[in-house]
Amino acid sequence: MEEDRVKVDAIVVGAGPAGLMAAHRLAKEGLGVVVVERGQYAGSKNVSGLLYSSVLRDAIPDFEIKAPLERPVTRRSIGFIGEDLFGVVEFGAQQWRESPYNHTWVVYRAQFDRWLAQEVEETGASLLDGMVVEDLLYEGEGPSKRVVGVMVRGDEPLYSDVVILAEGALGIVSGKAMKELGMRPGRKAQTFGIGVKEIWGLPSGVIEDRFHLEPGEGAAMEWVGSPFRGLVGGGFLYTGKESVSVGFIVKVDSLARSKISPHDLMEGFKAHPEIGRYLRGGELLEYSAHILPEGGYDAVPELCHNGLLITGDAAGLVNASMYHEGANLAMKSGQLAAEAVIQARLIGDYSKRSMMLYEQMLRESFGLVDIRNARKVSEAHEVFPRVMDLLPVRFCRLLTDFYCQGQRPKRSIRREAIGRFLGGLPKFRTARDLWRFRRIVG
Amino acid sequence: MEGVSPGPGGHGTSLPLEEKLYRVRYEVDADHPHIRLNETVCRECSERVCTFICPARVYVPSPEDPGRLKVNYENCLECGTCRVACPREGIVWEYPNGGMGVRYRFG
Repeated sequence: MEEDRVKVDAIVVGAGPAGLMAAHRLAKEGLGVVVVERGQYAGSKNVSGLLYSSVLRDAIPDFEIKAPLERPVTRRSIGFIGEDLFGVVEFGAQQWRESPYNHTWVVYRAQFDRWLAQEVEETGASLLDGMVVEDLLYEGEGPSKRVVGVMVRGDEPLYSDVVILAEGALGIVSGKAMKELGMRPGRKAQTFGIGVKEIWGLPSGVIEDRFHLEPGEGAAMEWVGSPFRGLVGGGFLYTGKESVSVGFIVKVDSLARSKISPHDLMEGFKAHPEIGRYLRGGELLEYSAHILPEGGYDAVPELCHNGLLITGDAAGLVNASMYHEGANLAMKSGQLAAEAVIQARLIGDYSKRSMMLYEQMLRESFGLVDIRNARKVSEAHEVFPRVMDLLPVRFCRLLTDFYCQGQRPKRSIRREAIGRFLGGLPKFRTARDLWRFRRIVG
Repeated sequence: MEGVSPGPGGHGTSLPLEEKLYRVRYEVDADHPHIRLNETVCRECSERVCTFICPARVYVPSPEDPGRLKVNYENCLECGTCRVACPREGIVWEYPNGGMGVRYRFG
């Protein structure tokens, strides 16, 4: 019976950055919106490193005082590690030390997402946590087939004019929906990275000493080199208030070929003296892992259908260049999906044609522009292991050799260092590799 | 000094996986494993990528029958790696029931 249906204006699947931002925008506009989250609380399944907050700031201008943020990132570095030597480039700016802190924060998502969900509930949206969306509900056939709600595991179906899928990288419901509706996949199959992280508890004073920080300020260090054994990826160290995150992101396919376990990779990374020193004396608080889509622009599928919009990681909206931006793009996509729904409601048309406004706005926003500009990042990924073999080991060796002290003439030391730097290096291939590697910046 | 040696290079940060998983909070759904295997596919699989690529070592050869795989689904971090790494679609992975499974405090 159509009259007995529980129906709302919009259902959002997943209470992460994309879904919550969509719900925030819709509820503020006065729409009846329900967010369905499978975790016991928003964020309970989520893992991330840095949060770029430029979109969040538009939606919640005073988030800096309200949100559970660990530290703003005021110092960044890129480190190269060989087995027995290292080199680090560290940088920062005075501007990063004051609001808006270059929109870069260390957050813990289980805490941050939970707060964001509460903010969204205050705008009038309903959050149903601990509920699993199994599949979508459809009506009609052929091109007019449309999404009319969601099937909730072990519960009543829930109906709506439109469903916004924001279920994250696993994308199980999104995969089913795309198949059911015959939505066009990306030009290339999606590929994934795996992120693995440990959080180590340490007193804030110790963290600030070790990372050269003023009280309350934070550091983000990225590392490449020998601990990653020729895999496509690298490691990181981020500072929390009273904890340090250590971990890495590597391409799943390169890890599968290598037969190395993520656990061994993590132990190898921490065992390097340049990494372990930041964690020394600490206590492990939590271990976590998650995949992220890294296929980029060519792997982004069709994002709209009748009564349906796909956002965030489920849509593959991650900039997989050196920036690794995901949550901010998820927030943007959620907001734009909400804008499209608001427009659709005005004209009473939730057809694919009407929903396409979302894709159009996304294309014009920085989010998809960045992802499109980074579409050749896979070229850099292909040469990544060879370039990493060159950069960390040879370049750091050149520097340490240059500064080698003793009673030999410096000129002969330098000549020998340069000889060692260039020795056995296939010059043509190296030049070509470096040229292709430039794509890493996106 | 005796007793404060950090060990070779590791600064005392090395931990066995069991110790790491012990620090993760789970709501174990004892009656509903959310992972099933396609037995025929897995028996014939020679690579068994799942046995090394899972960060929680959920997939291990069965102690009774090494031709089979045992699934320690209670340890699953719900990261999604096995689903995308298995080259044969041998893993049937569904979301755990509402509120069940991994429950990060930090994330």
